[in-house]
Amino acid sequence: MEEKVKEKKTIVDAFVEGARNGYKISINSMVPNVLFAFVLIQILNLTGLSDILGKVCQPIMGIFGLPGIAATVLIAGFLSVGGGVGAAASLYASGALGNDHITILIPGILLMGASLQYMGRCLGTATVKNKYYGFLIGINVLNSLLSMIVMKIIVSLF
Amino acid sequence: MENEGKKYSEQVTVRWYGYIVLILTILFFSGVFSSAEGPIKALDFTNISGSFGSLGEITEDAGTLASDFRGTGGSGARDAWLFALTLVPAVMLALGVVKVVEYLDGLRAAQKLLTPLLMPLMGIPGICGLTLIASLQSTDAGASMTAELAQEGMIDEKQKTIFACFQFSAGATLTNYLSSCAALFPFLSVPIIIPLVVVFVFKIFGANMTRIYLNKVCKGEI
Repeated sequence: MEEKVKEKKTIVDAFVEGARNGYKISINSMVPNVLFAFVLIQILNLTGLSDILGKVCQPIMGIFGLPGIAATVLIAGFLSVGGGVGAAASLYASGALGNDHITILIPGILLMGASLQYMGRCLGTATVKNKYYGFLIGINVLNSLLSMIVMKIIVSLF
Repeated sequence: MENEGKKYSEQVTVRWYGYIVLILTILFFSGVFSSAEGPIKALDFTNISGSFGSLGEITEDAGTLASDFRGTGGSGARDAWLFALTLVPAVMLALGVVKVVEYLDGLRAAQKLLTPLLMPLMGIPGICGLTLIASLQSTDAGASMTAELAQEGMIDEKQKTIFACFQFSAGATLTNYLSSCAALFPFLSVPIIIPLVVVFVFKIFGANMTRIYLNKVCKGEI
């Protein structure tokens, strides 16, 4: 009898289950990662490192049509997607990044997103041989950089 | 008693930087650098905590209001908290909708359409379809299902590595895009679908780079 009750999952149950999962991800993963990113940006701003970083990374980030400070978004994104997004949002709020910059950065953040974590959670779990890790991380970075060039072209069309 | 005290002091080993960290931590929470000049002001708890955004100003019955409870001009951990809270409803809605799509067999339909394409697209067999759909929602689920496929001999070592590469770049694509990246949707200057399509194109591109690498460079190894 009990089993029959369990089987009767309605569309409402499905939505609520998904929403609950969204809440869990938000509170346990997104919020702490966003907080980390904001704190990182705050430290860079208070120490004045953000200006230096912006200048140093300008030539490289310029290729993608981005200001130098956007490098912090990619670095934070490499650690966690939430971190990259948080850094981007924080820089957007302060006016350092504009709408086009955010648009270009999104695929960049995702494609190399959380590579460090996913090394264990994805490659480790899938039992990929250790000797390929370096190559696969390289692919993530390459994907990310190329996608930003493509996005730069797409943005210029809109 | 004396013996016990000796035992404890012997047991505790501190790496040299422990003492430096302790001193810095005390300074961090002490507030001595709260109004310091220059980079040193980053070594202060209150400064890193930052401030909540301003909700607006009203003087003489007129003024401005911020668009939401996050306010404007906030910074640091405090601003992060309010900003992150503004994202939660969108994440819950998006993942709720994905679950409904799954319930109504929408994801299975995607899997069915995808299955014949996997071999020409990435050189992996159609049986990977279910795992692929799962990997778009959860990195952990995708990876463990991939390990199972390999264990059962459904895919060989090379196919496993190619498939893992696909999952590794932009892992849990749908979940991450609809949760974290949703924060940036209001700022996009192109339709929301476009960055997602670009991400998929490059996931497949990356998998094929691995395919070429394994076929050409690591010919004999696998």
